[in-house]
Amino acid sequence: MDPFIYILDIIVFIGIFAIVALSLNLEYGFTGLGNFGKVAFFLIGAYTYALLIETGLHFILCLIIAAILSGLIGSLISLPALRLREDYLAIVTLAFGEIIRIVVKAEHWIAHGVWGISVPPAIFWQGASFRMTIVAHIGLIFFCLLICFILVQLVTNSPYGRILRAIREDEIAAATLGKSRLKYKAQVFAMGSALAGLGGALFAQYIGFIEPYMFMPMLTFTVWIMVLVGGPANNWGTLLGATLVQLFNRGAKIIKDYLILPVDPTDLQYILLGLLIIFILLYRPGGILKESKIKTKAVERASQWKRHS
Amino acid sequence: MEETLLRIRDITKNFGGLRAVDGVNIDVNTESIVGLVGPNGSGKTTLFNVIFGLHKADHGNVYFDNKRIDHLAPHQVFTRGMVNAFQLPRLFYQLTTLDNMLLAAREHKGDNLLNSLFLRKEWQHQESELAQKAMEILELLELAHLTFSPAGELSGGQRKLLEIGRALMADPVLLLLDEPAAGVNPILGRKIFEKIEHFRQRGMSFFIIEHRLEILMEFANRIYVMDKGKIVVEGEPTEVVNNPVFYEVYIGEK
Repeated sequence: MDPFIYILDIIVFIGIFAIVALSLNLEYGFTGLGNFGKVAFFLIGAYTYALLIETGLHFILCLIIAAILSGLIGSLISLPALRLREDYLAIVTLAFGEIIRIVVKAEHWIAHGVWGISVPPAIFWQGASFRMTIVAHIGLIFFCLLICFILVQLVTNSPYGRILRAIREDEIAAATLGKSRLKYKAQVFAMGSALAGLGGALFAQYIGFIEPYMFMPMLTFTVWIMVLVGGPANNWGTLLGATLVQLFNRGAKIIKDYLILPVDPTDLQYILLGLLIIFILLYRPGGILKESKIKTKAVERASQWKRHS
Repeated sequence: MEETLLRIRDITKNFGGLRAVDGVNIDVNTESIVGLVGPNGSGKTTLFNVIFGLHKADHGNVYFDNKRIDHLAPHQVFTRGMVNAFQLPRLFYQLTTLDNMLLAAREHKGDNLLNSLFLRKEWQHQESELAQKAMEILELLELAHLTFSPAGELSGGQRKLLEIGRALMADPVLLLLDEPAAGVNPILGRKIFEKIEHFRQRGMSFFIIEHRLEILMEFANRIYVMDKGKIVVEGEPTEVVNNPVFYEVYIGEK
């Protein structure tokens, strides 16, 4: 295979996973919501996109609807789930991810169950080479990533983002300062789910064919590793984490062809990812980049005060 | 003019078989400092938690500004103008001192999701004003040099001060303080009460649990003594000090 296409493929996946990782960072890194059902919203986005594009709708519209629908379903799920404490929230979201996948697999009428569903190419023009279509996808995906990044940066560098961090630190104290925790958590959950859905839609469009087995819980854990490696509550760190983990994953896939191992080589990347996460948590529990500070006019004003006195 | 700001009527709270608060009646007038004392485990903090909506009362009502508040959630009580400072400071330890202060701001435009995205200019201006106010309070509490330190790096006494400062930041009508002078040195303890008096003269009211009697008696307008969930003595500080029941339950002498 053309090695250049392989590199382009890696870039595509970095872009898609960076979007999903940003959404988890918003939920977990900033708000402290342990969402272990990321893959569910990724799946909802992917299937919504696949089913909509078949009806002949413009793909940009499909992307937007896929994101909004994932967000809506996210906010529905959040209503009962957010009343639970961290560990129970993790269990509920994990179970939700499994249920959604099994439903899609078993209910043939939705999208042909295990047979999967093919997604007609949306970015296509006369005489386009394979390479060029991938580059066009990269353009679209990184444009979406840019919008998502600006969105999460604006949200987290604001009084709103400050409240999210306060809820992460101490919910009760935040409530006694007049912040309705349920409202904020539900909004974050909806936003996070919408971004994950967008990631799923872009994934479906690029891959061109989706089936339930592409949405295993391992996808959720990979996204978690990205956030933990890069540094929770730092959006730049999440981009870095997504890039590193994606390269690590691909690297492991290449290396295993050249090694003779006493284990099943297809599992090598998971073994290495497991080791990576242990090392990160032992030696750098806060991730590579530290939590970002909240930048608003207040910081400016307060630092001027210091100079006066 | 003095009016009753907080009226606690016949509040009872059980934990399983334990009656932590038993038919308590308390009045807190406007622009006054009311003290609540009593031995450990007499139900003082539980009563505070009930007032603030962290616990549901089993019986009785709480009226704030002539409106019932015992069915409200903590964040709703806050919006009515009552603010609570915990006995063990519950700060946001990874956030800076300044952020901790700003979080207590009332009616901040940037607290809303859509505003945080689209009305940045408006709330940025408000942020700047709030920072000014926060710095003034921090200066008063001698915390200004720690503005940008994470709250987790503050010492025990400084945390206590920040907890109070954060409550003041919310412009409370009534401030519930659970042992503001505990765990700080005697000079600072006095200073805290001097600040409290300073804010009382500007129209705030205080309801304070405190074990440092020598300071409390000097500043409080009225004292309630609680024992085993019940109010056993109430009155002005001089009356309470001269009441033999007070000695019996609190100092342990007859």
